[in-house]
Amino acid sequence: MRVFIAGKGVISAIGNNVQENLASLRNSKSGVSKITILPTRYAETIPAAEIKLTNEELAQFSGLCSNEPRTALLSLIAAKEAIANANIPDFKKWRTGFISANTVGAMDKTETIYKYFMEDSNTDKLLEEDPYDAGYITELVADKLGIKDHITTISTACSSSANAMAYGARLIKTNQLDIVVAGGCDAMSRFTLNGFNSLMILDNMPCTPYDENRKGLNLGEGAGYVVLVSEKVAATLAKKPTTTLSGYANANDAFHQTASSPEGKGNFMAMQGALEMSGLSTKDIDYINLHGTGTPNNDLSEGMAVQRIFGEVPYASSTKSYTGHTLGACAGIEAVYSILSIENGIIFPNLRFETKMKELDFVPVTELLENVEVNHVMSNSFGFGGNCSSVIFSKAN
Amino acid sequence: MALYINGIGCISPQHTFYNSVFLPEVKEYTTNRMACVDADYSKFFDSGSIRRMGRLMKYGTASGMIALKDAGIDVPGAISTGTALGLPEISQKFLRSLIEVNETIVSPTAFIQSTHNTVSSNIALLCGCHAHNNTFSHKGFSFESALTDAGLLAKENVDNILVGAYDEVSDYKYAVMKKTNELRKEPCSSLDVYGEKSHGIIAGEGAAFFVLAKEKSENTYGSFVGNKAFYKPESMEEIKNHILSFLKENNSSLADIDVVITGISGAMEADSVRIALNKSLFSTQTIVAYKHLCGVYMTSSAFAFWLASKMMKAQQIPDTVILENRNRSPKNILLYNSHKHNHSLMLFKAC
Repeated sequence: MRVFIAGKGVISAIGNNVQENLASLRNSKSGVSKITILPTRYAETIPAAEIKLTNEELAQFSGLCSNEPRTALLSLIAAKEAIANANIPDFKKWRTGFISANTVGAMDKTETIYKYFMEDSNTDKLLEEDPYDAGYITELVADKLGIKDHITTISTACSSSANAMAYGARLIKTNQLDIVVAGGCDAMSRFTLNGFNSLMILDNMPCTPYDENRKGLNLGEGAGYVVLVSEKVAATLAKKPTTTLSGYANANDAFHQTASSPEGKGNFMAMQGALEMSGLSTKDIDYINLHGTGTPNNDLSEGMAVQRIFGEVPYASSTKSYTGHTLGACAGIEAVYSILSIENGIIFPNLRFETKMKELDFVPVTELLENVEVNHVMSNSFGFGGNCSSVIFSKAN
Repeated sequence: MALYINGIGCISPQHTFYNSVFLPEVKEYTTNRMACVDADYSKFFDSGSIRRMGRLMKYGTASGMIALKDAGIDVPGAISTGTALGLPEISQKFLRSLIEVNETIVSPTAFIQSTHNTVSSNIALLCGCHAHNNTFSHKGFSFESALTDAGLLAKENVDNILVGAYDEVSDYKYAVMKKTNELRKEPCSSLDVYGEKSHGIIAGEGAAFFVLAKEKSENTYGSFVGNKAFYKPESMEEIKNHILSFLKENNSSLADIDVVITGISGAMEADSVRIALNKSLFSTQTIVAYKHLCGVYMTSSAFAFWLASKMMKAQQIPDTVILENRNRSPKNILLYNSHKHNHSLMLFKAC
């Protein structure tokens, strides 16, 4: 049974909707710049891919209250766009799920309230804290979307939203649901910025994924969702879905809590599993949207695994050179980009690439490629805890 | 698809560490906060790791390893877990340090353990499991989603699935609960959950893991028939309909059910629904309660899963959990639990 993608929505540092993101991708317009929204002492010294809208502006845009966690504001904007884009007649009559991923939850709120708690463990600020956790974000957005048949939150670090899409597809394939809005969201926080900084894997310049001289990642924020539908729902749509979610796999590197194995065992297994499910061979993949965080460790492990599985590596690039690493949102955002690649026959460049990595035989795409026949795209997402997931999107015939 | 429960592991505020016994003595708490009874972790981790690991990391991981050992499985076919809050104590250790030093120099040790998938992936690391590894973090649906994931995996021909849940009550969460007036006034007795004076909850925590398999083994506790989660029911009628249709979907009916595990907790509003259901729907079943043993936390239904497993295998219901005794033996067991808007049903059948 095929699972179709009927709609998509995205907000990131390179645009507030799908069209703006596509324009930036086409024009090599990176979202990495000086931090101006997140209050942090690193504003001048560490760049990031922030969405340059305040919570008040995002609130106006989303229809939520500006007191709500930034992650939820981003989530609702992208999820709403995805549903509007799907334009499903009688949306309410189907069994619908909202499977959303996030890793920081309401950390932006907690890290502010916690300061008061440290001063006074009985502070009234604690009253605000009660609902905040990863699931709160999902429930708040699900309520606004009017979805209640099946809701849950996945939090497997940077592979979270890939696993959300896979879980949604499995619920459709087993006829438990007809429609699933799946993807993820994460906002910038001091917690994650300082965390990655303490691991010394942040680049103090715009990141250079897959470059021999790469220094690390840039943190980003955003949300990306796809609307997955069953064949039955797809048949009712005026606008026929362009793509299917043809393969996915979740594997674990089981090597180290935060580092990937040098040969990328988990990465290899995830890509292999996704290929097997899709029934495709490596030759069928036209483009790989790499995880490509820009850290020495990730790009080496992923690159080795890509090389081992593909032999001759197809077009490949990391769009994190535009969006930074958006953690729990990245697979959702990159799903939208993968679908855009198929729909528009274009391959996005890997920005700022200069020098080939000495361990690898391949280099990423560095110029926008147009008029390419893109039938199948693989998108990789790997995270802390060795969580490795790959998904494959295919042109719907 | 019913799955056999072939191994269990539970670390909780009670003495649940050893699978050879079944609630040998009940630990009573006179405060409104329960904490897990610590186990001897040197069996599981080296001393260096024990020092670095947060409390939940230790008892969460150990529970998973106990379940695997109990089932006689070295490497599970997949791991799926639920945790509503991830690892709050160690995450806040990192948060505190970055606030204290105003974002200057912080150690990454706590940050590394702060992602919600830390326990699940730590188990994978320890047993060398490269298979599917998932972590759901959705309030009172966290463990429920992991069970749904396990059900999907079984249909996808995966066997010996390690499924579990874990949460801890951090000092911060406890302060929040105190502030929002949910907690029972101290001094109190954890055993007096349902009396007129017992309004308010006791904060709790715990970890419980299970090996779900397609084939019965010598160690099988019983079978997990299925589960269902539903969100924000609008009325008592809707809850009843969910319960009845869930039973029907699993080829069962109310008349088949011998024991109902209720999520009754001391929380007035939620308990009024639970008590009404016990009176109207479950009038012939033995009613069993469990939150006086583990406290209230969002993945406590995993403790109830453990309780169901033990009752099925022992074919015995400990006195301490009996709320209404209708002299039924624990053959077919229904769990109904809720946490705020998250409602959960599970069905078990003794072998």
